[in-house]
Amino acid sequence: MATAIVRSALSRAAKTSVAPKRRFSSSAGHDDAYEAAKWEKITYLGIASCTALAAYVLSKGHQHGEDPPAYPYLHIRNKEFPWGPDGLFEVKHNEGH
Amino acid sequence: MIESQRHSYHLVDPSPWPISGSLGALATTVGGVMYMHPFQGGARLLSLGLIFLLYTMFVWWRDVLRESTLEGHHTKVVQLGPRYGSILFIVSEVMFFFAFFWASSHSSLAPAVEIGGIWPPKGIGVLDPWEIPFLNTPILPSSGAAVTWAHHAILAGKEKRAVYALVATVLLALVFTGFQGMEYYQAPFTISDSIYGSTFFLATGFHGFHVIIGTLFLIICGIRQYLGHLTKEHHVGFEAAAWYWHFVDVVWLFLFVSIYWWGGI
Repeated sequence: MATAIVRSALSRAAKTSVAPKRRFSSSAGHDDAYEAAKWEKITYLGIASCTALAAYVLSKGHQHGEDPPAYPYLHIRNKEFPWGPDGLFEVKHNEGH
Repeated sequence: MIESQRHSYHLVDPSPWPISGSLGALATTVGGVMYMHPFQGGARLLSLGLIFLLYTMFVWWRDVLRESTLEGHHTKVVQLGPRYGSILFIVSEVMFFFAFFWASSHSSLAPAVEIGGIWPPKGIGVLDPWEIPFLNTPILPSSGAAVTWAHHAILAGKEKRAVYALVATVLLALVFTGFQGMEYYQAPFTISDSIYGSTFFLATGFHGFHVIIGTLFLIICGIRQYLGHLTKEHHVGFEAAAWYWHFVDVVWLFLFVSIYWWGGI
């Protein structure tokens, strides 16, 4: 039963992409042209707001905290990495080795 | 479609790619374990396996594209297969991410005494959610809007606009990944800094990896749209990429709210 519902829904989805049922104008594909133009505008709006937000966030700057004390649950090392004692993206603790 | 065929199913030709993919996966797994433990030749076997896997992916998908575009085997009935497959794949991905959210919630809702009984653990300087993560939050949905624009442009038969829309989608995706990379580089904690670092980088790292996969998928769609592979009636590959992209987008929203924002308070 459930699979039948999913199957019919899927095949409906497949069919609607062939010939959209919502057709308010005489020209085929008018609906999609309208939707495409609408989503193009939404995209531009999104890009504009992201740019504005980026300018604001990146200009703010941020504070750097001090290094925490060496709690036992920080900087855990159970064995060496295949490439050596230090992690790839961290302050190097064993530079001289 | 071959004239003599009286049904709409695609009877596939024998292919070497399933076995080559399996061997690649085996070499990758064994090589990966050898690399992470002190075995000789681990790195070599791992690289060999990955090269094998990537090669198999390339030629297998190349074959599928030839079967659908040049040979016309992907009838309406055949298209149901990849649709079901894509949906099930995304469902499995939902479960995959569910596990990471579970791990993070499990560790943060009742913080263990070993990390000071608080979340975030004492000594962890969390990233401010209202800086880069907040900036990244409208970038992904904008990219989702652009992929919807591309979809309607394809349906309306506006081939060039669809390419532009996909370029916009991919550019926004790259900006997102760039910001994530920047944030990772500047992060004051690492994956080995307590359960916080482990759950944080596991969840956000796998999300970033999925963003990169989705970006590659969309780039392939853009190239195929440019080459005229995608038509009004037939663009299953694009639809799968769009579904996948929306999925990655939704995962980000959950990451932002539960790990960056709530998890950092």
